[in-house]
Amino acid sequence: MDVALDSLRFIDLTTSSIIFLFIVGFIGGLVSGFIGSGGAFVLTPGMMSLGVPGTVAVASNMCHKFPKALVGAIKRFRYGQVDIKLGLVMAVSAGVGVQFGIKLQRMILEKWGPSGSNLYVSLSFVAVLILVGGYVFYDAMTADKGGKAKAGATLAQRLQKLEIWPMMTFKTAGVRISMWFTIPVGFATGMLAATIAVGGFVGVPGMIYIIGASGLVASATELVIAFVMGLGGTINWAMHGMVDIRLTVIILAGSLLGVQLGAIGTTLVKESLIKFVMGSIMLIVAVSRALAVPKYLAELGLMNVDPGTVSVMDKASFLIMCAALLFGALIIMGSMYKARKANAAEEEREAPVHV
Amino acid sequence: MAHEMTKKQAMVRMIGFGAASAAVFGAIFHFANPITEIFSRGGFYAALPIATVFLVSYVHGSFASNMWTALGINAKQPAKTLKPAVTKRPEVRATLNA
Repeated sequence: MDVALDSLRFIDLTTSSIIFLFIVGFIGGLVSGFIGSGGAFVLTPGMMSLGVPGTVAVASNMCHKFPKALVGAIKRFRYGQVDIKLGLVMAVSAGVGVQFGIKLQRMILEKWGPSGSNLYVSLSFVAVLILVGGYVFYDAMTADKGGKAKAGATLAQRLQKLEIWPMMTFKTAGVRISMWFTIPVGFATGMLAATIAVGGFVGVPGMIYIIGASGLVASATELVIAFVMGLGGTINWAMHGMVDIRLTVIILAGSLLGVQLGAIGTTLVKESLIKFVMGSIMLIVAVSRALAVPKYLAELGLMNVDPGTVSVMDKASFLIMCAALLFGALIIMGSMYKARKANAAEEEREAPVHV
Repeated sequence: MAHEMTKKQAMVRMIGFGAASAAVFGAIFHFANPITEIFSRGGFYAALPIATVFLVSYVHGSFASNMWTALGINAKQPAKTLKPAVTKRPEVRATLNA
């Protein structure tokens, strides 16, 4: 049975594109399993560089994201790291945030056209990633050697003391906080997900610094949010016939291997490493997106840039984005290797000596 | 308490799920064009790609999980809380020192 595919929507797959998608899927999965999100920011432009139309790339990426998040969430739930209640509460408000984000995007598109919309996306990327990523990175670097949280009244602790009805208790996270503080975090996660496709870059730090969950619980719970939002988004895209199942299953083949390895990794390394990896990736991606800004400013006639320079900056932007993901993956695998070696040495020391 | 799988058990399960996973991927790519065309018709056909990724995540996810266990890459068990050891007093026995 031979059916010709609509060449405008579906690309011809080559061996090199299959290998590329599998590897990016694996690395993205590894990072997601470890920090709760990631991979999407490389996969969508990565697919587009293979010739996949933007909407099909976003839809196929989303269709691989939710089963990957589900597998990662189940794995980390077994390790006692997932707060399902917190994940579901956040997912509901994130759903509202996504709708708001989409409306805002449409408004900008109507008023300033595609370049204005792209400029808004890139500027949101740069602003959020520098501010939030910078803080996460600073926090990871100043954590004590044991990877434990710093002492002193944090913002989350102060918010937890405010008794505003309705109060909610999240057992796994070990937090009791008013629902009114969870809603903005979820809303911002959804809005960012609709804008830059990586809601976790706000969701995980929000759960840590505003709600008061640990890095381990926040990154694991983010997988629940990613599953709910990804499933909702996929239903929407699939109903418009935008999912290329071939691309989705190739990426899934790699990411299911990676997400489980990343989840195992969280039990081996110290907790501050999650923040370190997340903060570093966010800052590197911020540089990558900043390089894309002059192109859109030029398109809007706000700046004069040579087309040759724009093309070089475009390529550099994509390469830096890939480097961010690769850097995260290497740190995770390196730390896992070191932790396993240390554990093995410890077990050897503790083993009874038979004479 | 959950039963901990040995490397050998994981290897057997890895081979089983690996074969099932290969069959699923083989079927998808053998009929790649008609499947992609049908799955992208939109409307109620949206259920097809979603059901497929759930199937892939179960079969291939189980393969992946067993593969890491078979390779000896396991999660570190949380340190067990030490319970005070219940020491039984030795029974007093009548001894005869003769």
